[in-house]
Amino acid sequence: MVISVSHLKKYFKVQQKKPGLFGSLKSLFSRKFQIVEAVNDISFEIDEGELVGFIGPNGAGKTTTLKCLSGLLYPTNGRISVLGYMPQERRHSYLRQIALVMGQKNQLWWDLPAQETFLLNKEIYEIPDDIYKNTLAELTELLDVAALLKTPVRKLSLGERMKMELIAALIHSPKVLFLDEPTIGLDVVMQKHMRDFIKEYNVRHKATILLTSHYMEDVRLLANRVIIIDQGKILYDGKLAQLVKKFAKYKALSIILDSYISPDALGEIGELISYDFPRAVIRVPRSASNVAAAQLLQKFPVDDLNIEEPDIEDVIRDVFSKK
Amino acid sequence: MRLAIQIIKNTWAEYMMYRLSFVLWRVRSVMQLIVMYYLWWAIFSETQMLFGYTQSMMLTYILLSAFVRPLIMGTRTQEIGGMINDGSLSNYLIRPLHIFRFFFFRDIGDKSLNIVFAFGEIIVLFLLLRPPIFIQTNGEILLFTVLSLLIGMIIFFYFSLLLSSLGYWSSDVWAPRFLSFVFAEFFTGMLFPLDILPAPLFFASRLLPFTYFIYFPLKVYLGHVQGMQLLQGVAMGLFWMLCMKTMTDRLWQRGLRVYAAEGR
Repeated sequence: MVISVSHLKKYFKVQQKKPGLFGSLKSLFSRKFQIVEAVNDISFEIDEGELVGFIGPNGAGKTTTLKCLSGLLYPTNGRISVLGYMPQERRHSYLRQIALVMGQKNQLWWDLPAQETFLLNKEIYEIPDDIYKNTLAELTELLDVAALLKTPVRKLSLGERMKMELIAALIHSPKVLFLDEPTIGLDVVMQKHMRDFIKEYNVRHKATILLTSHYMEDVRLLANRVIIIDQGKILYDGKLAQLVKKFAKYKALSIILDSYISPDALGEIGELISYDFPRAVIRVPRSASNVAAAQLLQKFPVDDLNIEEPDIEDVIRDVFSKK
Repeated sequence: MRLAIQIIKNTWAEYMMYRLSFVLWRVRSVMQLIVMYYLWWAIFSETQMLFGYTQSMMLTYILLSAFVRPLIMGTRTQEIGGMINDGSLSNYLIRPLHIFRFFFFRDIGDKSLNIVFAFGEIIVLFLLLRPPIFIQTNGEILLFTVLSLLIGMIIFFYFSLLLSSLGYWSSDVWAPRFLSFVFAEFFTGMLFPLDILPAPLFFASRLLPFTYFIYFPLKVYLGHVQGMQLLQGVAMGLFWMLCMKTMTDRLWQRGLRVYAAEGR
């Protein structure tokens, strides 16, 4: 077991301020605070080499969990163990084996070429010269940025900068990688490059990776296992494929008709989602999908019929909206 | 050691990116120095001795204080308060790095660059103005001057870190820092030697750590503090150094527990 989280809680005290100048003046004399339960009693375990997707809406507690795991935040309660360390102790032997990449926070020196940050990290992580050279060559080749090493960071595009951030975070070949929205703000081509790279890194280095993303594509293409979190609590932890079975109460019957049938007649089978003759989609309860399909074939002139699982994004949206 | 060199190199490289800002900053320092120099020159034009200082001693004090100020009080640690508040401190905490050590070497980079330029400027000013400067030749005194400068540098380093650590509890780090600096700068002896102050104020200044930033090292250099007085002063400086380090370390550790890594 590489990561073990048991009953983790992290609460924040947040100041409440009324809007406007009057509110600002009032807050000078009396400040009101509210306790925000960012992470509220979550537990999970992750094995070596696993690539786990951590998903949830904004403010669900994903980033807070990553920050606790990487030792930036002290947990309010509960236990965390990563590689046998308590992250909040921030022992250097622990920090040498992990990396946290936050999409919108950068460690690169803004005015200097990225390689100056890499050289600094080489000294911070005490990486021997030959290993540093090899790792840098490997990473710059994988991410295709070798030509940009001498360009000041502020002259780089967002995508190029994200790649350089990744190199800075990976130059010490961490065993555990926490990626917080690694593809945020990138165009679709760059998102794909980034995904391919993360997958490749996971395989090549047998690294354990925990990744958060707003893009379902990231999670769908990278992670076998997902942890869904909302309002600080875990709603689901398991395989992505199982998620649909567990949460989707419906299936969709997609048909092509030979001749026109009235929408009312089709509506007797189930909920008619769309109808544009000859194509129609009917939603039926999961358990009744076979019976409904048989009924359709018996009653109507059906040319083609498919029983489809709903889209993962729709299922997850349903899960979040039902809470 | 290699880490220290890399930090210093990056700090220099960063300054070189903003050459004009750096040059203008130096011009400002020189202008300030010239104003102070001529002010005291004018004051001494009517008299040979004032507040127990000869013209040569006073002008030496003023010129040297301009040289010593960036050496002791040049720092990048003021950035830390803002970094705590905008969450960019996380980039340092996530790496196996002693952040105080990192900023210490960053300061060395900062100070060394300023000193190289200040040294050049002072030589030019010296050739132009030909001031009646007092040159200390006693090796022992020079050694104690260096020691007291080091003590002052370290006290200031921790003092500045202490103020920045307030960022863990308040987003208003600028205001307490500004106020503290206005207060501290007066008692550093940056503008004039503190012993020309009225006796109660001078006494109060000796109870504060700020005299170790400029006044004390310069008095040592001028040979005004010797024997038992010198040893007492150094011991007191070491005491302040330890105090400031202990307070800062404790405050920082407590701060880390409440750090919210905000910003995302």
